[in-house]
Amino acid sequence: MAANLHPATNGTNNDDFTVKAGLAQMLKGGVIMDVTTAAEARIAEEAGAVAVMALERIPSDIRKMGGVARMSNPEMIKEIQAAVTIPVMAKARIGHIVECQILEALGVDYVDESEVLTPADDQFHVAKSDFKIPFVCGCRNLGEALRRIKEGAAMIRTKGEAGTGDIVEAVRHIRTVNAEIARAKAALATGGDLAIATLARELGCDAALLKQTAELGRLPVVNFAAGGVATPADAALMMQLGCDGVFVGSGIFKDAETPEHAARRARAIVKATANYTDKQALIEASIEHGTAMKGISNAGLKSEEKMAGRGW
Amino acid sequence: MTKPITVGVLALQGGVVEHLNLLRKAATHVLTSQPQPSADNGIDFAFIEVRTAPQLAQCDALIIPGGESTTMAIVARRLGLLDPLRDFVKVQHKPVWGTCAGLVMLAEQASATKQGGQELVGGLDVRVLRNRYGTQMQSFVAGLDLGFLKEAKNGEAAAAPFRAVFIRAPVVEEIIADGRQDGGEGKGKAPVEVLGVYGGEGGTGGGEGKGDIVAVRQGNVFGTSFHPELTDDVRIHVWWLRQVVDAARHGRLVLNGA
Repeated sequence: MAANLHPATNGTNNDDFTVKAGLAQMLKGGVIMDVTTAAEARIAEEAGAVAVMALERIPSDIRKMGGVARMSNPEMIKEIQAAVTIPVMAKARIGHIVECQILEALGVDYVDESEVLTPADDQFHVAKSDFKIPFVCGCRNLGEALRRIKEGAAMIRTKGEAGTGDIVEAVRHIRTVNAEIARAKAALATGGDLAIATLARELGCDAALLKQTAELGRLPVVNFAAGGVATPADAALMMQLGCDGVFVGSGIFKDAETPEHAARRARAIVKATANYTDKQALIEASIEHGTAMKGISNAGLKSEEKMAGRGW
Repeated sequence: MTKPITVGVLALQGGVVEHLNLLRKAATHVLTSQPQPSADNGIDFAFIEVRTAPQLAQCDALIIPGGESTTMAIVARRLGLLDPLRDFVKVQHKPVWGTCAGLVMLAEQASATKQGGQELVGGLDVRVLRNRYGTQMQSFVAGLDLGFLKEAKNGEAAAAPFRAVFIRAPVVEEIIADGRQDGGEGKGKAPVEVLGVYGGEGGTGGGEGKGDIVAVRQGNVFGTSFHPELTDDVRIHVWWLRQVVDAARHGRLVLNGA
């Protein structure tokens, strides 16, 4: 079905980019879980997570507590790194080059330049090609995804609306990306390079990357779901819509009755992601999952309360 | 017409599509170079994703791709696939190739595993060291001289180095001299052959500072630390598929030069 992902040149040495994008390719079909302590990281690892995202507060608590959300304390990240053998990711604020430098020096495996944290730069995202460490970035549409890839991101995720447990924004974002990829394919087929150049202007992205996307029929890097995944069915939905894997933020630990309940939720979402078309497996996973986080409906959020609008 | 040779890629998680794409490319190389004396002696391939025991049962050979070996082991256990996989590798002796996480799965022992250890399929009498080079910051691409690719080219000029992609890669830290306690099943087992070594100093290769063991074969089981599926270089897939063809024709694996 999908073609091999061999992003051409995005301003980095090819071998470097192969290594950066390659780790994301190895995470496909898996679940990356937000964790705030070493104990939570161990629960995630035992449940079969392919990686953990170390952060100080899960997005639903960031939302509730307000204030400025920043990179996590390196001490906490080190504890998580020591506790598990799977890859450890961590979040940096949009445009915060120094937080990225610190995370790189800590030896985390991936940096998420994330709208879940309070942006540090209102003009520029981080120049990600300058780093050896690979980056994942959020997107709401194809233009945004390709702008991040042009800057050096080796993995993309939907933005969704983090910390809500409401999947509607993530669905909107993957559907938008898919529809715009279909437009790019049609443009290439009917109008060739000129039509691609016109569409690239409209989407605000690099024409060469847009052409590559049209040829591949998909994003040229791995694309995960994120932002509002709360249940096994949500995870399977995003996989059926074409995502390569799933980030689960608040959905594992928020409102979990006990650590064992969180572990069951984690196992259930791993199972649903690996078997996203198997209805029997989805029934079993949904039963195992139990009650989900209560969540906040996106329809009730004011625009200034939404995180997805951060970045461009 | 003969039944196609079915090659599966274990699709629990990881670099599945990448292997399938390179297998398809490799198949065209194998089919165009294979002597095919008559139509009814011809060969054909089918490539499938394997998530269930019935799908595994259709396979003549299997690739376990790169990914996270802890995740694969946990998911395989929960889907009831670990024992069918062990049977496929160690009882039916069908050709199996593991890359990176797949190499970990195919080892009899692994170190630097998660707390409490991890389950393995086994088949290679080796102990692998997970994350040998550290975190993603220590992942790299390196040119490897792989002698077996030269053999496969039947005396042509020396093969170019293979651009090997190592991502949080494991290596073979020790060949277990006698992996089995009882003399029964293990008797007559093929020896572990070292087919690829990376680097020089402080490595695991033979314990003599000769670099790290990054490609091994023992009978029907082949493992690489690195990811040929992340490149466009089809040579290792072609080399392995030719062995799969031999195994399917003879009902067992016939080793090069054996």
